[in-house]
Amino acid sequence: MSEQLIVCEHLAYTYNADTPRDAVPAVRDISFSVARGEYIAVLGHNGSGKSTLAKLLNLILEPTAGRLTVDGVDTTSPDFSEDDLFEVRRKVGMVFQNPDNQLVATVVEEDVAFGPENLGLPRAEIRRRVDDALREVDMSEYALHATHKLSGGQKQRVAIAGMIAMKPDCIIFDESTAMLDPRGRHEVLDAMERLHRDEGIAVIHITHYMEEAARADRILVINEGKLAMDGTPKEVFSQAETLRGWGLEVPQTVELLMALREAGFDLPIDCLTSDECVAALLPHLAGEADA
Amino acid sequence: MKILEVEQVSHLYGVGTPFRTEALKNVSVGFERGLITGVIGHTGSGKSTLVQMLNGLIRPAEGRVLLDGKDIWEKPKEIRSVRFRVGLVMQYPEYQLFDETVEKDIGYALRNQGLGQDEIRERVREVISFVGLTPDLLEKSPFDLSGGQKRRAAIAGILAMRPDVLVLDEPAAGLDPRGRREILGGLTRYRDKTGTTVILVSHSMEDMATYCDRVVVMNHGEVYAEGTTDEIFARAGELDSIGLDVPQIAHVALSLKERGIPLTGTLYTVDGVKNALLPLLKGRKTP
Repeated sequence: MSEQLIVCEHLAYTYNADTPRDAVPAVRDISFSVARGEYIAVLGHNGSGKSTLAKLLNLILEPTAGRLTVDGVDTTSPDFSEDDLFEVRRKVGMVFQNPDNQLVATVVEEDVAFGPENLGLPRAEIRRRVDDALREVDMSEYALHATHKLSGGQKQRVAIAGMIAMKPDCIIFDESTAMLDPRGRHEVLDAMERLHRDEGIAVIHITHYMEEAARADRILVINEGKLAMDGTPKEVFSQAETLRGWGLEVPQTVELLMALREAGFDLPIDCLTSDECVAALLPHLAGEADA
Repeated sequence: MKILEVEQVSHLYGVGTPFRTEALKNVSVGFERGLITGVIGHTGSGKSTLVQMLNGLIRPAEGRVLLDGKDIWEKPKEIRSVRFRVGLVMQYPEYQLFDETVEKDIGYALRNQGLGQDEIRERVREVISFVGLTPDLLEKSPFDLSGGQKRRAAIAGILAMRPDVLVLDEPAAGLDPRGRREILGGLTRYRDKTGTTVILVSHSMEDMATYCDRVVVMNHGEVYAEGTTDEIFARAGELDSIGLDVPQIAHVALSLKERGIPLTGTLYTVDGVKNALLPLLKGRKTP
């Protein structure tokens, strides 16, 4: 078992690479590694190349240049076989954006069992994995429900359970919260955090929501197909001007503190939660509290 | 003045099955002419049922829908004319594009309305500026557009009908921050220029705070609260408790107020909170 789960070296992907006139480079020369159990958010505006990157990591797309190593196996080597491919897809699962087009069965537990059944596991083992996976995403009581009657957040959690049942090392969420309402988003975010915290599964969360990205341990910012920033949420969101130039935003607390700093107040700007922001402001408000 | 009203409307789904649900319970609400009114609430709060009633897609089981004071179901055979006056942009409208070119797709409803070619041409060119599409895209197939461009083309198709009331169900869902700003900002410009009444359904309290004059909060099939954006956000703590995502900045303001800091003004936008804090903050560095 290698220490780094995923290693990208000068990874690149160009759409229509065969026809130079229509070629569209989407990912250009990206290098980074994902450690076991890491919780990473990926930010970038529409068309920045972040979804293409996700598809490369899960081998839906084959890189046009560079090397991708998953759990010590070089996926770009000529020796990489079809069996290896299935093994990598099992290790690195993916949950997509639209909750309505990734469930395959009509009953929740059958959908979760679909992957393990294809692995040819014994019946008892499948049963155990399905039950465990549904419990993990808090959907046990829906095991026998019809999938099409579920809410968006519930459908996404079933999709996550389907991944968990494959015992993956990493799950990539490609804007999996974008089509959900606030309640659904929180359900999925909580499930993600549990995977990372309790199961030691690495989470790569591609999102447009800055508050969601702030929950991760590390943020990668993709711009024009390149890795433009790689750091902790505090480090990344301190670069507000640069992020705005790329069509991204920063949490409102950072925006407020920046505006107040410009007005001449000595305040930190790297407060990503409202509690941190209040704590930073209070010393400057001494004596203002009405009795 | 209210242009569109629903009066004591109730609606049930799945009558006679175990899935019977009361989507709307005796709802009465009005929409002011020329304003942007936000409708917010959870999935299942009844907001989508409500907006589909506004242009006669769903006929209420009980109650009335009034357009300019007239019951839209008075003559059910004439409901089509209501749909030209109340334009509805559904969720993910980009899936409804179908025509050969973007231009034909945007002009589709106008052809159905029987307008002449020149008029259609002119209107299509006028509306694309509001949604941020460029004329060179008009000759393309809608299927060659990016996801964001498709969304804009679909919205343009409804704007081109010049409806008196424009209803949009989550027009910015799934877009990145810049895309959201461009689409919602464009709709604001469109309203400013044309005076069209706009009804905007969204999950985002931040969008409500930024773009809406008034807000209707739906919860469990009922109108939970209704008022100007200021009035609604003054109740931010309460909205939090029914599970709506109050903007982070409103939480900061609430939390400071709970500690006795006398903040006043617009306490749900970054600028508003900044302006409220400036006179109170101490320790400004001398320039």
